[in-house]
Amino acid sequence: MLSCREMSELGSEILDGHLRLRTRWAVMIHLRMCPRCKMYIKQLKLTAQVLQRMPLGDDAVDTQRILKKLQDSERL
Amino acid sequence: MDDEQELLKRLRQGDSGALEAVIKLHHAFLVAMTTPLVGPELADDVAQETWLRAFAAIRKFEGRAKLRTWLARIAINEAHAMHRKHRREVSLDSWGLDTGSPIGSRFNAQGAWDAPPTQWHHDSPEELLTEAELHECIRKHLHKLPGDQQSVVMMRELGGLDYDEIAQALGLAEGNIRVLLHRGRQRMHAMLDHFEEVGTC
Repeated sequence: MLSCREMSELGSEILDGHLRLRTRWAVMIHLRMCPRCKMYIKQLKLTAQVLQRMPLGDDAVDTQRILKKLQDSERL
Repeated sequence: MDDEQELLKRLRQGDSGALEAVIKLHHAFLVAMTTPLVGPELADDVAQETWLRAFAAIRKFEGRAKLRTWLARIAINEAHAMHRKHRREVSLDSWGLDTGSPIGSRFNAQGAWDAPPTQWHHDSPEELLTEAELHECIRKHLHKLPGDQQSVVMMRELGGLDYDEIAQALGLAEGNIRVLLHRGRQRMHAMLDHFEEVGTC
């Protein structure tokens, strides 16, 4: 029987599908019985998805400075 | 992705507006991703070199990976080259050591939840990302992660690189990369959890 602490440690392995068959079974059984762990794993997944979709664009980047350096190097 | 294809087409044609647009989109990411590797002073130089290589090779980019992933690969190579040239780097010796669970204190001695997770107001990544304040908060907390976790989260989640590539780039085993990614996600989850609870960063 997996404890909730163990479930939290397995979180990313569960999300990324890296578990062996036997552990996968134990995880599935635990998740059926434990809404708390189900919520934690769901929120961990949301966290990963937010990071994956996070735009890191920055309008304040000085593009002219970067382009000038590129032109100066005469390799563009 | 369609926007990206259009941008790529214009880049290949040498459209200067497209050059500017792509720099605005990805420069901050490249600097943030390489900062834990080479330190803040050299990260901007690494990003600059990355643009040089990328624009010179853009016609060879087939668009099978996302542009950000392709740029991340070039940036990692440039960071390694910079390291060799300057013979200095942020020490990576302690990288990969597991710092333990950041939520260990939320369980009792039997391993059951003492402080269980609570329901969030937002249910999808799109909903969460409509909160402008959250963007700033995520950036801030990404930088607060230990260097190794920061690198792995940046390379994997934001850059879209594979585990084996990240392992090679950082000189660590894939198992270490998985643990670091998990710890990074757990810390970022704690940040989101706090945001959901109190409504501010």
